[in-house]
Amino acid sequence: MTPSLAVDKPNPLAGIAATTGSRHPPSGRWLPALILLAPSLIMLAAFTYWPVLRVIGESLLVGRFAGQGTIGFDNYRRLFVDPHFGRAAWNNLVYAAGTIGPSLGLALAFALALRETNRLNSCLRTLVVMPLMIPLVAAAALFSFILLPGDGLLDFYLHRFGLGMVNWLGDPDLALGSVIAITVWKNTGYYMLFFLAGLAGVPQDVVDAARIDGAGAFRRLRSIILPLLGPTFGFVVPIALVNALTQIDHVVTMTQGGPSDATNLLLYYIYQQAAQNYDFGLASAGTVISVGALLALSLASFRALERGIHYEG
Amino acid sequence: MISMTRRTALGAAIAIPAATALSRAAFAAPTELDLFFPVPVQGMLADKMKELIGRFNGQQQAVAVTAVYTGSYDDTNLKTRAAIKAGKPPGAVIMSANFVREYVINDEVDPFDPYIEKGGAGASAYFDDSFWPALKPNAVIGGKIFGIPFQNSTPLLYYNTDAFKDAGLDPDRPPTDWAEWVAAARNLTKPGGERWGSMFPATYDYCGWLTSALVMQNGGQYYNHDYGGEVFYDAPSALGALMLLDKMVNQDKTVPPGVSDANACTSAFFAGRTAMMMLSTGSLSFIRSNMKLPYKVAFLPRSVRHAAPIGGASLILPKGNTPERQQAAWALISWLTSPEIAGEWSRFTGYFAPRKAAYDLPEMKSYLAEHGDAKVALDQLQYAVPWFDTFNTVAVRKAMEDQVQAILSAKSTPAESAKAAQKSADALLRPYVEQTALKSLG
Amino acid sequence: MKADRRLLGLAGLSAAVLAWAVPFAWMVVASLRPGVPQDIASLTPAGPFGLENFAAAWHSGNFPLWYLNTLTVCGGILVVQLVTISMAGYAFARLSFPGRNLLFAGFLLQLLLIPPLLIVPNLATLVSLHLYDTLLGIMAPYFASAFGVFLMRQTFRAIPRDYEEAATLEGAGIVALIRHVLVPLARPGLIAFAIVSVTAHWNEFLWPLMAVSSPRSQVLTVGLASFASGAEAGSAWGIVAAGTVLVAAPLLVGFLAFQRRFVSSFVFSGIK
Repeated sequence: MTPSLAVDKPNPLAGIAATTGSRHPPSGRWLPALILLAPSLIMLAAFTYWPVLRVIGESLLVGRFAGQGTIGFDNYRRLFVDPHFGRAAWNNLVYAAGTIGPSLGLALAFALALRETNRLNSCLRTLVVMPLMIPLVAAAALFSFILLPGDGLLDFYLHRFGLGMVNWLGDPDLALGSVIAITVWKNTGYYMLFFLAGLAGVPQDVVDAARIDGAGAFRRLRSIILPLLGPTFGFVVPIALVNALTQIDHVVTMTQGGPSDATNLLLYYIYQQAAQNYDFGLASAGTVISVGALLALSLASFRALERGIHYEG
Repeated sequence: MISMTRRTALGAAIAIPAATALSRAAFAAPTELDLFFPVPVQGMLADKMKELIGRFNGQQQAVAVTAVYTGSYDDTNLKTRAAIKAGKPPGAVIMSANFVREYVINDEVDPFDPYIEKGGAGASAYFDDSFWPALKPNAVIGGKIFGIPFQNSTPLLYYNTDAFKDAGLDPDRPPTDWAEWVAAARNLTKPGGERWGSMFPATYDYCGWLTSALVMQNGGQYYNHDYGGEVFYDAPSALGALMLLDKMVNQDKTVPPGVSDANACTSAFFAGRTAMMMLSTGSLSFIRSNMKLPYKVAFLPRSVRHAAPIGGASLILPKGNTPERQQAAWALISWLTSPEIAGEWSRFTGYFAPRKAAYDLPEMKSYLAEHGDAKVALDQLQYAVPWFDTFNTVAVRKAMEDQVQAILSAKSTPAESAKAAQKSADALLRPYVEQTALKSLG
Repeated sequence: MKADRRLLGLAGLSAAVLAWAVPFAWMVVASLRPGVPQDIASLTPAGPFGLENFAAAWHSGNFPLWYLNTLTVCGGILVVQLVTISMAGYAFARLSFPGRNLLFAGFLLQLLLIPPLLIVPNLATLVSLHLYDTLLGIMAPYFASAFGVFLMRQTFRAIPRDYEEAATLEGAGIVALIRHVLVPLARPGLIAFAIVSVTAHWNEFLWPLMAVSSPRSQVLTVGLASFASGAEAGSAWGIVAAGTVLVAAPLLVGFLAFQRRFVSSFVFSGIK
């Protein structure tokens, strides 16, 4: 299925219009721009920029009880010696790797396999995309049952193969993997949509030419398709990174970070410090570190992809 | 489902005088109140609570209550604190009994004394007369009443009598001490997970509760009952309790490894896949309705002594409400905790009624005569001990729970766990300790 | 031989995709089985079937209120977003002003710094604006959408200047230009954005969970979480499944009915 990108009306002058548009900009007129941007800027300031400043400030404010505010790095010191934070950070790394890799890989595989538009493919694509439509807490409710030891769906059917009572969410060795699996199930369809669109932009004749020349499927993938999907990766990877940090709904409702910290993630740690322990200094320090890590990783992945695209040529 | 007798209906009218203390004019608009309530045990309790509240609303015009189901004990705590902090406190909350102390420390609740005294009784006498003594430490703090007990439980030992017979054990003689318990579990366990000797929930909150039971059975205090800044996680009594768990799960393999939740335990019990389980009396009714195999209940086994920690919840008055709203809340609370309603709720859920007088009512007497398991829960009250409550209770509780969960998954030894738990807890308690016991004297 | 390989590949693919659908299959099957059957996990039960679970779920949760609140939140966010992104999108697409690129980069930052990440300071902001525990408080952080601005900039850029020049010749000011010329032409983009926005906010959980505590302002996701934990307490999995259906149904049905639109929206929004 080729997604429709074009505006409704036919647009033969589109290319020309775009260039003429940028060649004659009305210069220096910032007042109309300011007025048009004002509502967005005010909102962004209130809920994105100010919070960043505020959270940095609160992270430097030391003292648990009212009237005890001094400036210092003690919150960060406490953060780094807290084994729960270290565990949450490590878990989040594992969680990120475990969700981004497989879900992107599966999404690409599904996209490649379901590339052609026919009845069956449409049907299969729909099934894979459906998880996108439900909230993560709904997925959590379903998987709470599926992963129930003994009577749950998975164990019920595994029983036929001799495996019996696996405690998917209660065994510290398996719990994070189970949470990862739920996330992969939820997100793969979403990423697949992007790959489908990206693949639609890969000219089929180039791929066919390569096949005629004798290049195997894997070679075609590596040398032609992947580089051309560069921009798609450039878009999807940061999204996947943000998701790896912010999708914790299932941890909140299913495992509460347990058992024994096995599913503690950075945002959950922050949520706990703020909502359970009322330790806003610690929660703010945690937020600063997490946001910093996210920005750094996004920048790094962006650079890496850019470089990757250029080298493949 | 127990139907309400006419006597109960009439009996519920006792709260009306409290309610009429509110509105002078008969046509005054009712005071609106929201009641946050948790459902921490199994069964369709949320529906029953809404039904009770509907009844209260229908019986008087002065107070209109909305019952809000707020999740588990921990979730209810979060929501209540968030609401109080944001300046929109609920009218009344059914709060886990061990969180009351922390609300007092943080000055987030008001005492009931003025409202009790307005009704003509002395506050302290009212508590002693109305409620079981074991409930006092968690509810009366600094000499004032901050919690009115609503529902209470202790852990019980549920056991499958057929399984006992099958293993050659006498079904009328359940294990009374740890040694017998360990031995019974060994006899009852069949390999391959076909039948486990014993199971118990080890999810957050339940885990800490049962661990405190074991430690106190082992002679320990577990935490300082009078001061919220100290816990005794690495005392010998605690270490011994951890060693018991390690033995049953990792050495004898009579308890499944990992963390099971209450549902997993009851499902296994119903299917005959576990012979014994340690579970709350709060699940008594749920189990009675769903367990088709013959079973009995017994006291928890003792070690140095019998000890059964109180669980359950009390009603509290969040700070920040007008006196009128609090008076309305008191009208609701005194109705909910009246002997008739307390008894009804107890019979429906399996919690025992905190109100002593509930057991003098004929409905309760016939109920106990018919249901021996409820009687066992009541009899165990003589060995009741208070519930773990400290400064920053949840985090300090989790300090031990994380370690216990590690032992259950063979990731840690009892000695390591005890030390780690104590260290973690001390760090969490430090800010409070520095403000109180170690306060600089200038 | 090639045909065998293809058939095998197809079988493998179908199996993988069917595995994806299993949770939904269970959800539908279990929701239609009243009571607490022993084999609640079975995907192929013999019956009996009935709608009791839906009645029970409807009765114990507060679905009408949750639907209303969720629709209000999603609708409110969308309406404001459409205005802000059209205006900002036009500014970036057509106007030149000092600092334009820097400002645009600043907007893009919001794609990463989403509200759940900044929960701690955002809650404090809500409290100081007296918006805690209100539906407006849930909506506020989303009124500006960097994503939407980005999308609108692309969309407007693709519209030929002729239309605007014609309108300007007839004396239209900027606002009229946006309202009467560009927005109608950008409809596909706006519809795409609307679908993405509503889906995202319908399914949002953590932020509404923290921003609201009283029952009258709960949205579907938060309601489902508390409803599910209560029902799970009674091992009433059929009711949990029914409740999940009630929450997920609107978007799922919309998706299944308008698949092509949905899919092209998400894809369209991802195209640089």
